[in-house]
Amino acid sequence: MSEMWINMGPQHPMTHGLWNLRVKIDGEIVVDVDAEMGYLHRGIEKISEDRHYNEVITLMDRCCYVAGMAWEHLYILAAEEALHVTVPERALYIRVMSEEFQRVASHLMWYAAFVQDIGLLTPFLYGMRDRDLILDLFQSYTGGRMTYEYMRVGGVRNDMPPGFTDRARKLCTWLIDRFKEYDTLCLASTIFHKRCDNIGVLKAAACRKHGVTGPMLRSAGVKADIRKDRPYAAYDRVEFDVPVQQDADVTARYLIRMEEMRQSIRIIRQTLDWLDAHPGPVIAPQLPRWLGAPYAPIGNEGYLLKRNYPHGLGFSAIEEPHGEALAYLVNDGGEHPYRVKFKSPVFANISAVREYVVGYHVADIPPIMGSVDICVGEVDR
Amino acid sequence: MLSLYSVAYDLISIPLTAIAAHLPAPLSAWLVNTTLLNVLGALVFCAILLGASMINTIMLIWFERKMLGRFMDRRGAMHVGFAGLLQNFADGLKLFRKNTRRPKDADFVGFYAAPTAYMVSSLVMFAILPVSTGWSAGALPLSLLLALVVFSFAPLFIFLSAWSSANKYSLLGGMRSAAQMIAYEVPILLAVVAVVVLSGSFDLTTIVYEQQNYWFWAPLFLALIVFVAGMLAEMERIPFDLPEAEAELVEGWNTEFGGMLFAFFMLADYVRALVGCFLIVLLFLGGWTMPGWVPASATSFPLAGIFWFMLKTYLVFGVFIWIRASLPRVRTDQLLRVGWMRMVPLSLLSIVLAVAVVLTKCLPVIGCVPGIGGG
Amino acid sequence: MSTPETSSRPPNDNPILWVAKPLLTAAKQFRKSLFRPSTIVYPFERLEDPKFREEVAVAAGKPIGIGAVWDNYRGVHALNIDTCISCNLCAFSCPDLCIDMVNVAGGDPKHPKKCPEIDYGKCSYCGFCSDACPEGCLTMTTRYELSVTKRADMVFSPERLYQVYEQKLPMNPIRLERPENEDQILLDPPVCIGCNACARDCPTKCITMLDIVKPTAAPGEKMPKRIWKEPVINDSDCVRCGTCISVCPKECLFWGTRK
Repeated sequence: MSEMWINMGPQHPMTHGLWNLRVKIDGEIVVDVDAEMGYLHRGIEKISEDRHYNEVITLMDRCCYVAGMAWEHLYILAAEEALHVTVPERALYIRVMSEEFQRVASHLMWYAAFVQDIGLLTPFLYGMRDRDLILDLFQSYTGGRMTYEYMRVGGVRNDMPPGFTDRARKLCTWLIDRFKEYDTLCLASTIFHKRCDNIGVLKAAACRKHGVTGPMLRSAGVKADIRKDRPYAAYDRVEFDVPVQQDADVTARYLIRMEEMRQSIRIIRQTLDWLDAHPGPVIAPQLPRWLGAPYAPIGNEGYLLKRNYPHGLGFSAIEEPHGEALAYLVNDGGEHPYRVKFKSPVFANISAVREYVVGYHVADIPPIMGSVDICVGEVDR
Repeated sequence: MLSLYSVAYDLISIPLTAIAAHLPAPLSAWLVNTTLLNVLGALVFCAILLGASMINTIMLIWFERKMLGRFMDRRGAMHVGFAGLLQNFADGLKLFRKNTRRPKDADFVGFYAAPTAYMVSSLVMFAILPVSTGWSAGALPLSLLLALVVFSFAPLFIFLSAWSSANKYSLLGGMRSAAQMIAYEVPILLAVVAVVVLSGSFDLTTIVYEQQNYWFWAPLFLALIVFVAGMLAEMERIPFDLPEAEAELVEGWNTEFGGMLFAFFMLADYVRALVGCFLIVLLFLGGWTMPGWVPASATSFPLAGIFWFMLKTYLVFGVFIWIRASLPRVRTDQLLRVGWMRMVPLSLLSIVLAVAVVLTKCLPVIGCVPGIGGG
Repeated sequence: MSTPETSSRPPNDNPILWVAKPLLTAAKQFRKSLFRPSTIVYPFERLEDPKFREEVAVAAGKPIGIGAVWDNYRGVHALNIDTCISCNLCAFSCPDLCIDMVNVAGGDPKHPKKCPEIDYGKCSYCGFCSDACPEGCLTMTTRYELSVTKRADMVFSPERLYQVYEQKLPMNPIRLERPENEDQILLDPPVCIGCNACARDCPTKCITMLDIVKPTAAPGEKMPKRIWKEPVINDSDCVRCGTCISVCPKECLFWGTRK
């Protein structure tokens, strides 16, 4: 058979979202690939320029639909720096706990999609089932299951409901047990190793060249984690380890993510203990009123015209479940951000696709792309 | 002995004779003509066979959906009929009502002929395989050979459908399917040779009766493994379902088919699954016979043969569902490597073992190990 | 728990068992869920049923609704028309601009009461409106089923929202505190012309027009004895809706902090 291009996407079982991987194949071997993105572009950065600071949070949840809390956190950190707001400590711990739960939920979603890509149907349901429990937990204190709208400039919307920490601990125990089950279904299976070992290799040098971050970088032996390297929120006050693997293949990424989930549970347990011991306010008491919590008469012209608030620049970098996400925000004294810029880790991870797909089989594409953990919402924004 | 054909013949002859009694002589003589009755009886026989096999196939889908659901911690079909029993009939009705669209570049004849031929060639198997005593229309001395020949038509039609639907995914899936099926025909046939060596016959009924005392799975364990693996590949089920690997090839070779054409493929896949389970039961698990330690009352009630046969069939299919629920899909090259480099030598070894068993006459010794289905 | 700092990959622990362990794991789950899978039969069973609350579910060994506190859910809004003061804050705070203030029946025909009408085709269920509502009359309920056959049915008029309110569904119990140092509405006295517009339109009637002597004469001239009126805002009643600012013809009201 001569070489031919096939489109994997935009509507394709492999893509997990709207994007297109054009693949040039020679028989069953991939000769060339070309990623096309932008199908899900919603102009979130531009819309943010016309939204009040707290209203941008509603966009952040939709930015990445599997890691809404992490993106809220990213934006809020940038906004707080630009607006010169200090946050009560309890809110920091709540944010850390939320982000780690979100990391587990996102990794569970990844696990479900990944095993389905290699043809394992049962763990897909297990992953989705256990993720749903985390969503239940999120719903119990934020009111939303995927779109939380929970963080606010200066803190978080509300404190935990009574009995929350016990439920969260129970969930942690449940999840730790399930992780063993997941490993048995995948790692103990010879077919899994046949499918996933030594494919999709992306070594550290290539990762650096393309700006690939997150589990993909750590699977290549680079111990890079923003939570350790540039601690934000309360990450410098909790203990955790950064998992590293050397092989840079699909199995290594699997191992990294499974270990990250365990480390997240470890962080969550510490924050739950702290939250039990330290009640307090969850939102800064001295917020400028126009930040809108709880009342936000934005859109009411004449209200903000006479505001004279110090300008500022905000930059934040967080370790999102998929990698390093960055945000940059300019506050020019208006009621809206003057400019918001987000850097999505998945965009860089996909952009390097030629480095880790070419040369393998067509049947290797789903596991490889599955191991990248693609969330198209944040790629296109 | 009550046979299915005689039942069908009676079904048509008794009413016709009753009608003929009220008719004038020349007409009644023409009506109760033996040739006509034989032809009509054969038609009724086919109808019964078709109905039974289709209902069984659809129940097989239901069985898979429910059982897979339990493996996945969910319930499967629930709402149409009791425990979703009628769900697949509803799905079939939905597909029947749907429009079938042919892509612009698709070849007309191939596009419509391939699904039909695939379906028909799968259904023909039911006329060959005996489910119980008196099930087949007549004695077929080479029924095993015929069954395997008909069973191996499928890659041809799959490749035809893939090629004629003018789709790159279909073509890739069709190529994979053809390669896979051809690769696994060889070990299947060699494994069957082991059975033939042991039973000394190509007639499935004889093979079953040879197993009345000792089921063949114990002496031919190696051949059973090869045969089951080959059947998994032939049925295109996980872990060997690469031709329709939905993660990379959308739906593989039936991507472009919709409506009833898709339903044909879907049904024929399950027909082939059912046939594969039939073959395993017939060749290795004693068919409709039961070992001697089973009380006679359990094997002597009416239709006991069919009951035990179907029970075994569904158990075998349950194992296939179990495998599907817990294993990932392998890759094409790995599949072919396993097929040619592991399965073929294993099946050759199993032939050697079978010959050894026959020569040393140690079959009763193996069969006497308690609990392995000996008589 | 394996040590995370190691870079070694756990070996394929049992090459002899091949795929036996996954098969056994799946079989274990099969046994667990043979009679009672974790799923609920949705239209007939609902997660908000008390029987799926955590205690029961965990006792049965099923991971259903381990954190579900359904009162918290942000679903369809409920509007108590009687307590609505038409302050517009919900419409102002809506990021999707899906809330319109429309007239409701009853009251003064010249100045009809306005209540929010919500277009659920646009609503993103962020809950900012119910957070902003100073009277607690616009709340979010636990109702989550909203399928309609016509697009126009997605628009919930105040009356329909009131019907939701009358169903007495569980509502979000968490109410937010007002911040300590709220901005206040301040007056620029020399500009005010005493037109009464702010007091007339104030939804809480917290503005009273007080008589004052307005010194408008130029220096050197005799002060006129004319009586002017000037708004005085009762701060504890004010909900900070800004209606007075937007109706002021001279832009003499503004936000600020009283020194």
